[in-house]
Amino acid sequence: MFKTIQFGLESLGEAVLFFFHLMGLSFTGQVNGGQIFDQIWKVFLESLPTTMLAGFFVGGIMTVQFSMQIEAFGAMSYLGGLATSATFREVGPLLIAFLLSGKIGAFTAAELGTMKVTEQIDAIRCLGSDPLIEVIVPRFIGIIVASLFLLVFGLGLSVTGGMLMAYFFANINPDEYIRHISSIVTISSIFSGLFKCLTFSFVIAGICTYMGYSTTGGARGVGLSVIRTAVLSMVSIVVTDWLTSFLFNSVLQSMGKL
Amino acid sequence: MLEFKSVHKSFGERTILKDLSFEAKKGEILFILGTSGTGKSVLLKLIVGLLNVTSGEIWIDGEKTSDYSETEMFAVRKKCGMVFQHPALFDSLNVFQNVSYGIRPHLSGLSESEIYDRVLEGLEVVGLGKDIFEENSSRLSYGVQKRVSLARTLALRPEILLFDEPTTGLDPVTTQSVNKLILDSSRKFHCTALVVSHDMDSALSVADRILVLNKGEIVELATPTEIKKSQVPLVKEFLEEVLDRGDQNHV
Repeated sequence: MFKTIQFGLESLGEAVLFFFHLMGLSFTGQVNGGQIFDQIWKVFLESLPTTMLAGFFVGGIMTVQFSMQIEAFGAMSYLGGLATSATFREVGPLLIAFLLSGKIGAFTAAELGTMKVTEQIDAIRCLGSDPLIEVIVPRFIGIIVASLFLLVFGLGLSVTGGMLMAYFFANINPDEYIRHISSIVTISSIFSGLFKCLTFSFVIAGICTYMGYSTTGGARGVGLSVIRTAVLSMVSIVVTDWLTSFLFNSVLQSMGKL
Repeated sequence: MLEFKSVHKSFGERTILKDLSFEAKKGEILFILGTSGTGKSVLLKLIVGLLNVTSGEIWIDGEKTSDYSETEMFAVRKKCGMVFQHPALFDSLNVFQNVSYGIRPHLSGLSESEIYDRVLEGLEVVGLGKDIFEENSSRLSYGVQKRVSLARTLALRPEILLFDEPTTGLDPVTTQSVNKLILDSSRKFHCTALVVSHDMDSALSVADRILVLNKGEIVELATPTEIKKSQVPLVKEFLEEVLDRGDQNHV
């Protein structure tokens, strides 16, 4: 137990250092722009259907849950606003990020881990190139940008999902659903959701590239890296979520806007 | 050309190489033999800076490279082409892209036509041609992947060639052709070759000298003719294994 906790904390610490190193390299101008664009496009296209599906149903689930609660108070006209606010601020970014960490994170860790154990990473070094510049940083930036777009896209679709569920299951027409969104979903809610999307993108990109690049051993090592990526990403997303929520609440309270 | 001076390598408490000193002359083919886990591959990785020495010095062309930083090692690595135990081809790239990886314009300053010529020359040395340029490397057989891997290293025009167990897992016919490749590529490009292997048979037929490692120490360094007369127990075991295989082949 103690060893597991120690290993987890050590991995997290190393991942943080690796993350800052990659951030530094991202701004050196040595990375090929075409490779970054290819990665963004690849990650975005491969994960778009999954994200659309997840976003749609997250919105739908929130609407169904809220409709059961607020029906008793006769406040069904506020359903759209409440469901959208909760989805944007908390549940949407969290669930979609979980899904992306499983899909993009696991794939990248497995891909980089395999490159490491089959000596492809060493081969790049022996061919006079830096694997961090050639392979890792393009993926790192690609995952951040693509994940951010996917998360925002998923959140957008969650409104559609919520609206359709409200129409079919609570008999609320789309006009009524949308009417109170603007009064309940504030700029700070949207900004909070977007900020979470951004931080989750960094978490997913940092952890999966680190885990893949630090893989040792053979096929078993790759398997372990994938598992550790999934576990560490999800734990880190939850912790980051708590931290950003706490920071946002503190900032808004100090500004008297909560 | 390449010199080890009292090189010592440990991983924590575990010592892998002890006080290793030898030199390889220009154009020489030096086989490094030993049982598994004696530090043969570690020795190659120390040369190209994939691992750092614990103590001692490595000199290449009069330069002490064991003190070099990661950035300084990039130039040394181009001088020392390494062929890995696994083909280590980039499976998302085709054969042309794999072979030209280390000589892309921004790395080598070569023009597109010069790169094309180098790729073709490298592939022809290993018995392949431009007909496989567009093939995805992951779809090639293991033997062909090993050849492409060697062509990729040859395209760099290295002065020192490092082979990590080039014949492991290959059938006898392919083993013979890989041995011929080592000989041909070394002679054609006039480069020094260090070949890590378990295979005494290949060493006797290809090497100029053979270095035998046991538990991280040099137990013999001699020409194939001298090796055949060696009284070192481990060397005798390797030779007996070659003789046994020869008898079986006769049967």
